[in-house]
Amino acid sequence: MIYFPRPAVFALIFSLPAAVLAAPVDFVREVQPIFQKHCYECHGEKKQKSELRLDIRELALKGGDTHQPDIIPGKADKSPLIHLVTSDDKGERMPAEGKALSAGEIKTLTAWIDQGAVWPDGVDLVKLEDRRDHWAFKPVANPAPPKTKDQQWARTEMDRFILARLEQEGLQASLETDRWTWLRRATFDLTGLPPTSAELATFLRDKSANAYKRVVDRLLASPRYGERWAQHWLDVVRYADTHGFEVNTPRANAWPYRDYVIEAFNKDTPYAQFIREQLAGDTMGKDAATGFLVTSAVLLPGQIGKDDASKRLARQDELGEIVINTGEAFLGLSIGCARCHDHKFDPISAHDYYSMQAFFAGVKYGDRAIKSPEADSARLEAKKFKVQVAEIDHQLTEFVPLAKSGAKRPSVNAQINIERFAPVKAKRVRFTVKTTNNLEPCLDELEVFNTDGKNVALASVGTKPIASGSIVVANRHELEHINDGRYGNSRSWMSNEKGKGWVMLEFADEHKIERVVWGRDRQSKFTDRLPLEYVIEVADATGKWQVVADSTDRKKYDAKLKKPADFTLVGLNAKESKEAKALQQEKLMLEARIKKLSNDSLVYGGIFGEPEAMFLLRRGDPEQPKGEVAPAAITALGDLKLPKSATDKQRRLALADWVASPENVLTARVMVNRIWQGHFGIGLVETSNDFGRAGVRPTHPELLDWLAKKFVDSGWSIKQMHRMMVLSATYRQSAKIRPDVQAKDADVRLLWRFPSRRLEGESIRDTMLAVSGRLNLKMGGSGFDMFKSRGGLSGFPPVETFKGEGLRRMIYAHKIRMEREAVFGAFDCPDAGQTSSRRRQSTTPLQALNLFNSRFTIDESAAFAKRIEKEAGPESKSQIQRVYQIAYGRGPDAGELEDATLLVSSNGLPALCRAIYNSSEFLFIP
Amino acid sequence: MSHQAEYLSSVGRQFLDRRSFLSQSGTALGSIALAKMLGQDGLLAQERPIIDPAQPYAPRLGHQTAKAKNVVVIFCAGAVSQLETWDYKPELIKQDGKPLKGGPAVTFQGPAGNLARPQYEFKPRGQTGKMVSEMVPHLAELTDDIAFIHSLTSKSNTHGPAENFLSTGFVQDGFPSMGAWVSYALGSDNQDVPAFVSIPDPRGVPQASVNNWGPGFLPAEFQGTPFSAKNPIRHLDRPGGISPSTDQATRAFLQRTNERHLTQNPGDNKLAARIASYELAARMQLSVPEISDLSTEPDHILKSYGADDESNPNKAAFARNCILSRRLIEKGVRFVQLFNGAYASGGKLNWDGHSKLKEQYDIHAEIMDQPAAALIRDLKQRGLLEETLVVWCTEFGRMPFFQKGAKGRDHNPNGFTCWMTGAGVKPGVSHGVTDDLGQKAVENVLSLYDFNATILHLLGLDHERLTFYHNGLERRLTNVEGELIHQVLA
Repeated sequence: MIYFPRPAVFALIFSLPAAVLAAPVDFVREVQPIFQKHCYECHGEKKQKSELRLDIRELALKGGDTHQPDIIPGKADKSPLIHLVTSDDKGERMPAEGKALSAGEIKTLTAWIDQGAVWPDGVDLVKLEDRRDHWAFKPVANPAPPKTKDQQWARTEMDRFILARLEQEGLQASLETDRWTWLRRATFDLTGLPPTSAELATFLRDKSANAYKRVVDRLLASPRYGERWAQHWLDVVRYADTHGFEVNTPRANAWPYRDYVIEAFNKDTPYAQFIREQLAGDTMGKDAATGFLVTSAVLLPGQIGKDDASKRLARQDELGEIVINTGEAFLGLSIGCARCHDHKFDPISAHDYYSMQAFFAGVKYGDRAIKSPEADSARLEAKKFKVQVAEIDHQLTEFVPLAKSGAKRPSVNAQINIERFAPVKAKRVRFTVKTTNNLEPCLDELEVFNTDGKNVALASVGTKPIASGSIVVANRHELEHINDGRYGNSRSWMSNEKGKGWVMLEFADEHKIERVVWGRDRQSKFTDRLPLEYVIEVADATGKWQVVADSTDRKKYDAKLKKPADFTLVGLNAKESKEAKALQQEKLMLEARIKKLSNDSLVYGGIFGEPEAMFLLRRGDPEQPKGEVAPAAITALGDLKLPKSATDKQRRLALADWVASPENVLTARVMVNRIWQGHFGIGLVETSNDFGRAGVRPTHPELLDWLAKKFVDSGWSIKQMHRMMVLSATYRQSAKIRPDVQAKDADVRLLWRFPSRRLEGESIRDTMLAVSGRLNLKMGGSGFDMFKSRGGLSGFPPVETFKGEGLRRMIYAHKIRMEREAVFGAFDCPDAGQTSSRRRQSTTPLQALNLFNSRFTIDESAAFAKRIEKEAGPESKSQIQRVYQIAYGRGPDAGELEDATLLVSSNGLPALCRAIYNSSEFLFIP
Repeated sequence: MSHQAEYLSSVGRQFLDRRSFLSQSGTALGSIALAKMLGQDGLLAQERPIIDPAQPYAPRLGHQTAKAKNVVVIFCAGAVSQLETWDYKPELIKQDGKPLKGGPAVTFQGPAGNLARPQYEFKPRGQTGKMVSEMVPHLAELTDDIAFIHSLTSKSNTHGPAENFLSTGFVQDGFPSMGAWVSYALGSDNQDVPAFVSIPDPRGVPQASVNNWGPGFLPAEFQGTPFSAKNPIRHLDRPGGISPSTDQATRAFLQRTNERHLTQNPGDNKLAARIASYELAARMQLSVPEISDLSTEPDHILKSYGADDESNPNKAAFARNCILSRRLIEKGVRFVQLFNGAYASGGKLNWDGHSKLKEQYDIHAEIMDQPAAALIRDLKQRGLLEETLVVWCTEFGRMPFFQKGAKGRDHNPNGFTCWMTGAGVKPGVSHGVTDDLGQKAVENVLSLYDFNATILHLLGLDHERLTFYHNGLERRLTNVEGELIHQVLA
């Protein structure tokens, strides 16, 4: 609702005698009750419609987001407030619901404003909270570990904070758990896999003082550690290998970022550096790290409306996701909430939001080449191979029968057709279709080669296409696709006439040409709309046309022949055939190498360019820009400001330095809390992505600050934090539930015991494979498939039987956004739609069905049984003992042995393995 | 719990208090049962549903008396044209073939063409005389029972985000679906079947696919379980190669193993809930195939739905899904989401009529109309419509003009029609108006927030109070928006 003053209305209302209004209006006695009665319901403490609040002086006089201000002291006739309460337009008049103001009330308000809108101090009924007055926005303190009554229990200074709090509540810590349990706990926790029998035996034998430390060092040095802890980070940043939304197509080059995160954890990259690399890794030789910026779902160009408003909205959505990710992952702040309105709880204004957004104004979603010495040499090598392929193509044309030579040529095919002819001068080439196998003809690319083997048809060398007529389907069929150098139906030209049409290429200069290559769909998906009868004509610079090739000497088209015939061999003698075959093979090999080299060197890590101008948008609407904004940090948290002239790199680097600074009150706190959460299930701050005022306060605020300080002092070493936590007395406690304490602190927020929890979905799968002996420990690279489709529209049928690559750790699976994996996804795996700051631990019947009945479980039960038979021999008792040993890290007790023997004797060993895989003991971190 | 209160924010406190109350029991599920009892007696203000981990689908009370116990949402994917169906525009007939003065030059897919008349004839129907097109002759007969809302608007003109918006209240991926919210809040009357069932179209999944029935950040047990008359629940059946006796023996052994483990770890209700989840799974293995087995349906029922139409397998399959919907409602399933229309396919498999609208709608309408109408009649005839809400919806509408060089209409989020009928709905009303050409909502302009708020209301839920504390925010299906559409309430 936009307000335009209408003088005629005002003239009527305000032509009252001045004397009537002369008596001074008392705000508290006369005005405030009117506001209270009519306005506060929508413009008070609970709601602030249109961002207007009338119960606090400062905000009331500032106004809402529709008009600022709504009250203009001294000028009632210009004040939108008066206009709105007097309007006779029903849709506009305030209050929107309920009775209108009486004439007397209007008179009072008018007089009050005309008299200067006097609003005395200290009369507001509510006080505006200072939103900066919040623990997380205050500097990190440096508390000393508290003294405790019990001086024996603590093993680390950290423990004293926990113990002091327990003592304060009159609670006792739990006894230290046994070695077996601790090893299992720490191994699952740090690597996501169970300890092997050998690891267990070694540890149980090691009676030295630093036996525990040795284990932790071993686990942290294992590459399995990074594979486990990277998953926590990928959850937060909603990593996936598809683009999301309706088409959910593969994001083929996302995985280098996943590998980067695994490596960063394994290498113990200092956290501050980890932040810098993810925001500006392109400036530090860490290209893959900037995958962070563009991990979210995004609409592809074809899914965005062709109208400009749709494009602007899509751009805002893209940028919004970067701001959200940066805010939540690093700062634990929901900055995204301020996109449409000032934040409801935190001191983040919409202006702050757009200023933060301006740091990313030069970032676009897309693949970028990885710059590294290896990638550079790969690129050079690929280029060299491409030249070789072009040469081979040129040589191969020698083996294609000349058109119009009298020899019969192979029939046309949908994939690719070569027309070779004696060299001829050409300024224009015209391809005229006379008949097709059906419908309007369609060509994906028309290539014209000169005698040097160069494709002169490309638009990039200045060639222009013209056609008899075209059916345009955006991003699929467009005339410009005929010579854009890209293949496939989605980059093709289509005539607008059934069965016929022509397309002509006009070169910038005259060329001597000897070959025309065309196809319907070089990607071999489509065979319809194929020209059967055609003629190819060439005109030189003088405009003289001649036919160089046509379909008359081609064999009859056979619809069943989908792939092109081995074109090089048709009509050749044995010697030529041999030569051509050799060339063809060499070409295939080179092409495979080119593909590999170019695949390896891209990352979906954002494309960086000139920053666009950024504006404060009213209500987040791109169609309502207010002022232009420059990059700046959230004002309540820092004074970083850059000029609008700052380059993209300067912006991201400055932001990275600000976030990764020890002075930033949130960064270290947020990360130590995530590490804590990883070990104890819940962070000291339960809302690990929200340290703002709507988040939950820390259970142990001093401990959080102490940890944050330690973290920064250690050089931001994540592994040192792990060491401290895993070796602590707190972590070594038994998980046993003591009913009396449980009654006081059921959620174990005070850590009176170790809070046991279920393994995460990925860990369950990895552990089943580790136990069956089939786990493939290959690291890195493009993901393996858990669905038969890597992306797209028509659903995701799951792969059911896995082998080879499919037996790798689940973090290496090609992660489909939104589509949870068919068996383990139900165990609370995030869908990568929104950030997942902490996984829930739900228990559902679908989990039970998946784990009990899936082919995966049956296959791995069989494999586990096979392994046991091999390792334990034929005797049932030792087989059963071995099953328990491997799966649980302990032997069966007498009752279990008896029960299991019964099961195995009539149902076989795989039945026992299947049951064990489904058992609680197998699935829980003890 | 004094020690907790001090570190909780005001929004977090209530959440944690309730959760702690539930989980403080030393004996597994004892206090849960107590909480449930209290809840049923109305002693606890039901701000947040109390979930018994062993019985997640136990029935729960809403915020107010429910008009409707259950709901069937007929979700037409691909954006059904309001102009060919429910929103009669005589002026558009007059202006057929003329350019729209002042209209947009470019819309979602490209250049705009000339105005095009509705592609079907309209006729007055029933007592109300409501004009409905010949495209849907069977549904048209039900108009006296239907409340139409003609003035809906969406926040996106792209199918995926718009379907997200319709189903989750957000255009982004990853938010909880309405069905998940409802089953989270209310549970279900049947403990042996999931509280929320999603039935995909026989031709494939809708454009936003699993987002339409996803749990988002709600507990996973409340996501929609997809199955249809044709495709059963995944992993429901005993795996191939395992004999019934081995299956049974393994299950029994597992139960003993888990019980032994619980005895050694007393008081851990997560372990107790796992045992319960296997029991529930076993009950589902018995009850779901029985519900999905349509062989007991008499011929006249199959015929009335069109499930016997051998000449049109897609129609027959959709009709079977409609019968399945009724059977689920009969069994007390809370939320049934029934899809008509599949993924993006140039309008071939769903309602996305960009280029050959009439030709394609002839096919889609044939599949949708008779079975959907039969479902509503069947529910009514069995008295189930008195406690069941039936919603017909689509993600947005279509433009009054054709696309340039085509015979179809482009996306239009600015004014489109959805409707509801059944429990709590005022029959025979049409609310909201689009302009004379049906391009934009002009009177009583409503958003899908309002539509969703109204559905929740009919189910006894206050959309402003049905919240879930996630990531520092009290999340809602309707975000911070939504007003009830009183005009369609009985």
